[in-house]
Amino acid sequence: MKVEKILHNVYLIDKKTIATKSSYGSHYGEKILLNEFREWIPYRSKLAAVFLKGYLVNIKPDWKILYLGAASGTTVSHLSDIIDKGIIYAVEYSAKPFLKFIELAKERKNIIPILEDASKPWMYSGIVEEVDFVYQDIAQKNQVEIFKLNCKIFLKERGEGIIMVKARSIDSTVDPEIVFNRVVKELSKDFKILRYGTLEPFHKDHVFVHVRLS
Amino acid sequence: MWFGKVKNGDICVSNDFLKSFKEAWNEFEKLPLPFSIVELGKKVFGSEKNYYQTLRKVAIKVAEEKINLELRREDRYVVMLVKALNELIDTVNLLEEKCRDVEEIKESEITAELKEKIAELEKLRGRIEDEIENVLKKIAPNLCEVANPIIAAKLLEKAGSLKKLAFLPASKIQVMGAEKSLYKAFSRMRKGKKAKVPKHGVIFQHPFIKTLPKSKRGKMARFMAAKLAIAARIDYFKGEIDENLAESVRKKYEELMRH
Repeated sequence: MKVEKILHNVYLIDKKTIATKSSYGSHYGEKILLNEFREWIPYRSKLAAVFLKGYLVNIKPDWKILYLGAASGTTVSHLSDIIDKGIIYAVEYSAKPFLKFIELAKERKNIIPILEDASKPWMYSGIVEEVDFVYQDIAQKNQVEIFKLNCKIFLKERGEGIIMVKARSIDSTVDPEIVFNRVVKELSKDFKILRYGTLEPFHKDHVFVHVRLS
Repeated sequence: MWFGKVKNGDICVSNDFLKSFKEAWNEFEKLPLPFSIVELGKKVFGSEKNYYQTLRKVAIKVAEEKINLELRREDRYVVMLVKALNELIDTVNLLEEKCRDVEEIKESEITAELKEKIAELEKLRGRIEDEIENVLKKIAPNLCEVANPIIAAKLLEKAGSLKKLAFLPASKIQVMGAEKSLYKAFSRMRKGKKAKVPKHGVIFQHPFIKTLPKSKRGKMARFMAAKLAIAARIDYFKGEIDENLAESVRKKYEELMRH
């Protein structure tokens, strides 16, 4: 097997599988490769899909990350592998998936779980510090607004962010292309757009937008 | 902030982090905060490492607490216990019957052991009932007060959860547990025949209804079901006890007893 390092603790195996180096066991049923890598399934995690499509977000190991929409913690578990010297503040509103997430937070030292509504960032403004990176994956109609609000409060100057947009949840009546263009235009008012693209074939009608606060 | 408040530049450290974590919100107009939370935290907790360690522990505790509240797992616990209890009662009765059958033929060591085990199961049954009562008094104090814990548990089991019970109309609560006769009556009505609709389901077991003369039971059942519906809603949404509710049921009973 050919192992290629593409980012701190992130490896490409045989040019088609992506994995993170981890000292912890499997969290959501992913395979453990070569005893030390946890397979990062692009169909489950949108960030893995972005990486596999050839675009690397240069996540530094000492970053502080605000993660909105943690759900059961698939992506968070891999991010936690990558930023082994940083901290992830993971926000999620619904209690059921968080039950599983708590298990993850208990075994890893760099995850702060917060059960709050991401659209009301002032409710956790006394907990989250200034962060280097905001990751958002919530399928909400006003998700761009929520992203902006959180960035305004928590993202530091020249900090970066990535937002996963689901066209169907913003407007299901018009063509996804139009929705994406609208989102990018909306974001470019406050941010510098670094890169955006679709997540095909892993996720249908999804697009990621990588931005930097200018 | 989650570990205290800042007033005029002074840090007032909270003595209950769990509480202050839940109240760690700020007015939107004042955000972002003019200072770094971590820098202040370092002063309070000595080092960055200590700061994050404490924060993580508190965050996990609070999240767990919130999840428990959210999912109201206690009511599901009671529902499952009631189901187990019903099964247990059936089993004990069956076993007792069989044991007697065997004993009639011959008493032996094995029948003695069987008897012993049945007695143990009886004890277990009592313990489960106590547990149901304890939990129910905590999560549904009004239901327990208006009816009694056993009836409240049965209603809860029939409804499935406290939320479902809270959303049921009083008329449904009144006949809960008498579904068979209710639907029999409905089908007779559809055919145009005379039918008797049941007056009460599991709430019949309440002494206030049981002890009344037949002609007044319907009235009492209707009244009690209405109050139970209110009690379930208070329990689900507010959780505090309301003494007037149980009092009104008692008054109604005394009134019906006299006339």
